[in-house]
Formats: sequence, C-alpha cells, structure tokens
Amino acid sequence: MSAADLHLEPGAALGPWVVEHVDPEHMKTLAILLADPNPIHLDADAARRAGLGDRVVTQGPASVGFVLNMLTDAAPGATIRDVRVRFTANVHGGDAVVAGGSVQQLEEVAGGRAVTCAVWLDVRDGPRALDGTATLFLPAGGQDHPHHSKEN
Amino acid sequence: MSIPDLEQLAGTRLPEGTFTISAAEDGQLREVLRAGPSRSGVAHALWAYIATQRGIGISVADLCSLAQFDIADGPMLGSSELEYSSAMTIGTTYRVDGEVLGLERKHGRSGTFDVMRYRERLLSGDDLIASATSTFILPRRAG
Repeated sequence: MSAADLHLEPGAALGPWVVEHVDPEHMKTLAILLADPNPIHLDADAARRAGLGDRVVTQGPASVGFVLNMLTDAAPGATIRDVRVRFTANVHGGDAVVAGGSVQQLEEVAGGRAVTCAVWLDVRDGPRALDGTATLFLPAGGQDHPHHSKEN
Repeated sequence: MSIPDLEQLAGTRLPEGTFTISAAEDGQLREVLRAGPSRSGVAHALWAYIATQRGIGISVADLCSLAQFDIADGPMLGSSELEYSSAMTIGTTYRVDGEVLGLERKHGRSGTFDVMRYRERLLSGDDLIASATSTFILPRRAG
C-alpha cells in the first residue's frame, strides 16, 4: 500500500473531536485519579481567589487526554508514539472544547510509517488551550478509516 | 532561593515506586475523558502521565518542595511530553523512576518564576514502556 492510499497524508485534517460540556463533576474524579488536590479544579471560589475566573479550572492532563482521544479516533489503526504539548490557556468547567490536528509529514521507518502531526485543543468561542505535535506509527499494510467528526 | 541552588537540583533522582493500572480506574478515566472502552486490556494513553505521577515515590507537593516551592502557591503545568515504547496494559505492575532535568529562573510581566522540568518513566523490568516529561511553572511571590 502506498502513502497515497492512506488518509494520513500531509495536509490531512484530524478531528474535530468535541466535548460539548466539560463537566465539573468529572474534574473531581480526575483529581482523585491524578492524586491532585489543587482546589482550583474543585472549587470555583478557589479559582476566583487565584485570579483564574469564576469557574473551576480543568486539569491540564484532561486537555491532553482529549487530544489523545482525537488521535485514537482519527487513526484507529495507528499507535501513538509521542505527544508534546504546551498549555496556552485554561479550560473551565462548562466549556465546550474542540480537539483537532493536521498531518505534517510522513516518513518511512522500520515496519511502517511515522506520521508527524500538529495537534491542538480549542475552547469553542475562546482561546487555544493547548498546542503541540504528535507522532503516530502506522504499521505496513495498515489502513485507517477515520471518523471525521465526533461529539461527546 | 538563589539561582545556583536551583541549578544544583538538575539531575536529582526521584525516589522510585511502582504502579498498577486497575480496570476500575481505567474505566473511570475513560468516562471522564469520554474515551471508548479498552481494547485487549490496553490502558488509556493518558496513564503515561497519571501512572508516573502517582507511582513515583514522591508527591507533587514534595516535588515542588525540592525547589523550595509551596504547592499552595499554585504551580502550573506548562508543558507535557508523553512518549510510548509499548502499550500500557491493565493489571501490570510497573516500576516508576524519574529525575529533575533542570530548573530555570525567568522574569516575565507577571514577575519572577522558575521553570522546573522533570521526567518520570514507566518500566517493566528494565524495559522502558512510557515516559512523561513535564514542566511546572513556579511563580515566586515577592517578599
């Protein structure tokens, strides 16, 4: 199979992968999973006192998780080799967020292809919360049939 | 804390620990992230961050303390790099080690802050499974 047979070609869009409502109750569960007691994730008053707005602030790893979901959904036949992101704005409880990306480069490697992607997470009608890159590995003979849009 | 003191923390090894990703917690994480169900016992990829943070033998608060920073002063996650050599699997007990990679003092519009970069690794025996390299931004309050 040639690279042209694959949807993962340079310039191809990944996502969007959408969460319509970031649930503050879910942040409480994630705080336990992360063993992160930082009150800005749990208590709107704590976020307000910290000068971070009037709503709880989601944990940064949640934003990474949404991007990982987007990649898994966009390329179910690939495996994620790495993701490297920087956090550029906060996501708050109740926000809608949209994860997306684009294929930047395909490279032949042992056993398949490495796919370098730009990735991001945007707050709908708000700032970009995260941006960075990811590398996927697509095994030789693998084929991907992505979902072009998904809401959650 | 002077800058030379900060620089001496680079290379500090973090106490090792272990971590096992349970099916129950993987399910909770997938619900929180709206992810699909596990396939063939493979854990969600975000466990590279969570399992290393929880499995390393030092709390986030104590990690901040290494840089003489009180977690109550609000460390912020500045960046995250997750790398995978193999899939993480539910029920496997992994070894976790790590080290401080560096500390850098910076001065911005909001004041002085330190950037602490550290890496934690998830291992099966001596085989690297995944690693998480993070930077914490530590605002230094005046006075």
